[in-house]
Formats: sequence, structure tokens, C-alpha cells
Amino acid sequence: MVKLNDKIEEELKAIFNGDIPWVTIVWDDPVNLMTYVTYVLMELFGYNKEKAHELMMKVHTEGKAVVSTGSREEMEHDVARLHEYGLWATLQRGDQAL
Amino acid sequence: MGHTSTRRSSAMSDNEHGFFRHGDNAYLAKFSESEREVLTNLVQQIIELLAERVDHHNDDPLAAMVGITVHDTPPEDEVLLRLLPNAYADQVDASEFRRYTESTLRQKKQAHAMAMRMHLQEAVDGVIELDHDGANAWLGAMNDVRLALGVRLKVEENSHEDLELLAPDDPMRAVYAVYSWLGWLQESLISALMDDSE
Repeated sequence: MVKLNDKIEEELKAIFNGDIPWVTIVWDDPVNLMTYVTYVLMELFGYNKEKAHELMMKVHTEGKAVVSTGSREEMEHDVARLHEYGLWATLQRGDQAL
Repeated sequence: MGHTSTRRSSAMSDNEHGFFRHGDNAYLAKFSESEREVLTNLVQQIIELLAERVDHHNDDPLAAMVGITVHDTPPEDEVLLRLLPNAYADQVDASEFRRYTESTLRQKKQAHAMAMRMHLQEAVDGVIELDHDGANAWLGAMNDVRLALGVRLKVEENSHEDLELLAPDDPMRAVYAVYSWLGWLQESLISALMDDSE
């Protein structure tokens, strides 16, 4: 049997199992209020106030933050819910540059 | 992110408190008739704007049933684009996602706005009483109105200082007053909700 090197084997396994994590990113926006962004993150993801506030501050100061990680389908669901509440969100593969 | 002044916009209202919490699961605010008119008018505009983006199902009943639309390109209208943004930076992925999800997103936003309109119409003595779900619908709908006004006002980071200085006869000054008041109102509802989660 052909022996692939470990790295390639791992990559292939990830592709076929679909277990490369995807990420949901929230982008800074001049209209959404800081308290509102914090509240939406608590409400949609069940984060406590400290975690939601920390993520909101990261969006505010760095322009963006990863707010959730999971399968592509899960991230599509998260982005749809964030759009429902007017946050500016996108998803992408976790191994792509932000 | 957005700013709102901590003092209420005096031009808009004699409402001193905005929303406050009442008991375990109720959030109350009292509005004057003119305030209710302004709010109703604004959410009505959101409902109509979203309805302009009509679905065309290409006569495919199955596609219609599962909510697939032919909309795979982003809206040209700047406000609609902000309300219905791309989910992917990649255009092909963004189009595919939009085709399968945009009509659901529009329905959810319309549901928020319609819930808010209904509460405003059914208010007794101007008092609005919301439960947790109702509060979330209001937050979503008020936010959509603010996003729409924000596009028209060309709100950018730190531009609120310029907007505060608009000339008295500038029509955008009144728009900015409504925008600020909505931010203050939204903030009051969030404070009332956050009290719960301590």
C-alpha cells in the first residue's frame, strides 16, 4: 500500500471528513451599537457577558473577530442569524487568512 | 461601531426613560402619538423596501416551496445591500448562498418589522409591553431602520461629530435626530434586557 506522508494523509482525511473548521467573522460597522453587538452575541451564541463583550471589543478595535467555529453548515446558520439581527458577518474556511 | 449620546434627543420626545423592565419578562415603554407615528412609518418603510425585492421562482413549484429564488446577485440599492449582505467574500459562494437563503432572511426581517408595527398599533394609552421575543423583534427592527438611515446619512466611524453640526435647515438634520433617538431607544431596551442576565 502506498504510504503517504503524515501531513498529506491528515489533509486528505480532513477533506473527506469535512472536518476542516470553518469560521464566522463579524466585521466592524459604524452604525451597530457596542451594547447591541454584545447583546446579539450573548443571545445567539449563549456567550456570557464577559466573553461577548471581549469579542465585541475585538471587532471594535481590530475591525473584525471570529465569533464562532464549526462545520460549514453550522457557520452558514450562524451567519444567517447574525444577518437577521443586522450584524455584518461572513464565513470562510478556518485555514484562510482573515 | 456606532455611538449614541447618553442624553436623549430632546427634539424628538418627551419620553424620559425609554424602555424599562417590569417583572420577570416584561419590558415597557410609553410613547406619545407622534412618536408612535414616526416609529410606525419607519418600520413600514422597511417592510415595503424588503417587499420590493420580489421573488421570481421561474414557475418552478419545488423551488418556490423550499424558498429558492433567482436572486443570486446582491441588491443594487445600497440600503437593501446593507440589510441583505453577502455571506462570503467569494462571489460564487456568495451567490449560491444568497439563492438559497435570501428569501428566508427577508421574511425574518419583515416579521420583526411587522411585530413592531403590530405592537405600535395595539398600544393602549401609548404603552408598549414586550416579552423577551417581542423585545428581540423590536431590537432587530429598530436596528434595520438605523442601518437604513445610516446608509442615507452616510454614517461612518466618527462622523457623528459632523452630523451633530448639520445646519438647522438641512433636511438630514431631522433624519439624524430620528437616527439618534432610535439609538437611544435601542440602548434603553438593551439595558433593560441585560439586567436579566446578571
